[in-house]
Amino acid sequence: MDAVGGTGRPGVMGGLGAVRGRVLVVATVFRRELATVLRTPGYGALAVGLLAVLGGVVAVGGGAATGFVPTVVDLLLVTEVVVPLVAFVIGYRALLTDAETGELAVIRTYPVSVAGYVVGIVLARGLAFLAIVVVPYATIGVAVWATAAPDTTIFATHSGIDSPLLYLRFLGLLVPFGAAYLSLATAVSAVASSRRGAVAVGVLVLVVAVLGGDLAILRSLATGTAPSTVPGLLPLTPNGAFRGLVFEGVVGVAFAPEGGFVDVGRAVGSLLVWTLGGVAVSSATLAYGDRLEVLLEGARARTAE
Amino acid sequence: MSDDRIAELSGVTRTYGGVAVLEDVSFDVRPGVTAVIGPNGSGKSTLLGVLSGAVEPTDGHSRYVGPDASRPIGYLPQRVPFREEFTASETLAFYVRLAAVDATSPEDVADPEEALERVGLADAADRRVGALSGGMRRLLGIAQATVGDPPLVVLDEPASGLDPGTRERAFRTAADASGTDTAVVVSSHDLELVDEHADRVVLLDRGRVVAAGPLDRLCSERGVDDVSGLYRAIVAGDAAEDDGGDGRDGGEPTAVHVTGVSE
Repeated sequence: MDAVGGTGRPGVMGGLGAVRGRVLVVATVFRRELATVLRTPGYGALAVGLLAVLGGVVAVGGGAATGFVPTVVDLLLVTEVVVPLVAFVIGYRALLTDAETGELAVIRTYPVSVAGYVVGIVLARGLAFLAIVVVPYATIGVAVWATAAPDTTIFATHSGIDSPLLYLRFLGLLVPFGAAYLSLATAVSAVASSRRGAVAVGVLVLVVAVLGGDLAILRSLATGTAPSTVPGLLPLTPNGAFRGLVFEGVVGVAFAPEGGFVDVGRAVGSLLVWTLGGVAVSSATLAYGDRLEVLLEGARARTAE
Repeated sequence: MSDDRIAELSGVTRTYGGVAVLEDVSFDVRPGVTAVIGPNGSGKSTLLGVLSGAVEPTDGHSRYVGPDASRPIGYLPQRVPFREEFTASETLAFYVRLAAVDATSPEDVADPEEALERVGLADAADRRVGALSGGMRRLLGIAQATVGDPPLVVLDEPASGLDPGTRERAFRTAADASGTDTAVVVSSHDLELVDEHADRVVLLDRGRVVAAGPLDRLCSERGVDDVSGLYRAIVAGDAAEDDGGDGRDGGEPTAVHVTGVSE
């Protein structure tokens, strides 16, 4: 992709130098973004709040006293709501901040590619997301280890046994699930022109993404779609893909090892596509948003004539 | 002064919501200090935005045609935009690192502390941007705009809202960045400072260039002594003509105000 500024900068580097330059851009943007996140006290409060919510759910559900898989079952539904929510809180202003203050216009005068800038910001926000989400979930896991029945400390080598490894697998699945929503949130931050607009679009995207997929599947079943197509349709949304993978790789291991809840390849691919799609939308918006605005202005002028 | 062009604008027009903020603007940017002056809402910020690449013109084009450089254009917008939680030194270090991605040797990498010292902010290096005064922020902005020694430095109102001493310092620092191969384009309402530092002037009125060229030549053509005289002769004269009056009420030029665009 072209340099952000489009100022006619001559190509002065090639080969390894160009790669080094791209890595340096990503690293520089990443460092600044991470420092910004670390200096925002609200994110610490978010992690504490998330821990309180998860602790409350597990305490009410009672799964923690039984084992890791029952804990995952208790947490699954709430996870499908809070993880996207946290991802949006972390990401909805990621690209908007610099655009709103005008600092993006300044950054554009440096030899920085749009992709390098977006990736640097997404990586930093992704690391923050991991800390804010995975640490509370890991804390719950440690609590289950310490308090649940003795057989939870046995590492599973075959199906049917509860195991901390299954909980680790659940933690691992949180990462691509959260990455998909963080990437979507970043795209919202690129498209929105104000903080209020980002919140409005973010809420809309959240509701559609969290509920829309399931409602669409229910509707298609009601209109005669064969139930056998569900494993293929379910992973099309991030929530469906995540839920399917959790059933396939965590919950189902204990009682239905034959699987078949979801098409695993399609689920993994779906989360990857959502993640890369968000980054692509963010990059395209930053790279071509101004030109699109100019085209719209031209169309408006012609209409007015 | 060299006659080599650093940038050119050709037929640049920019509209917002169908309202023209710039109309058919054309001029060349040459080494030295070029001051863009004009009434509020005349399109100065939009023009500087187009020149820096921050604003896409709806028609025409702006092109950098100066010497090869990894960072051809430095830019300071009217509102200094840096993140408030970072110190002045951290802010500049970020931009120095960005400018250095193409550097092939350590000598090509600017020193943030040196850049701060150049604008007189060495003592404020560890102060957060949010705790800097308006003048200090602008000086920091000027330091940022010159990171990597871009051949074209575009500064939007670097002296706006500052006390006379800081205003002079901001303008002098900006002027110091210009040279035989370097152009500084600066917008300002301070005609005295423009008179003192500018080599060339672009006078905008209602989105159009009404005069452009070397300051001395423009003044002699109009038979005035300084920029203030030039401004009055052209902009105020136009306003008087538009009013159909005799010019006595034309001291304050009219302005086109577009929400979100005009200063």
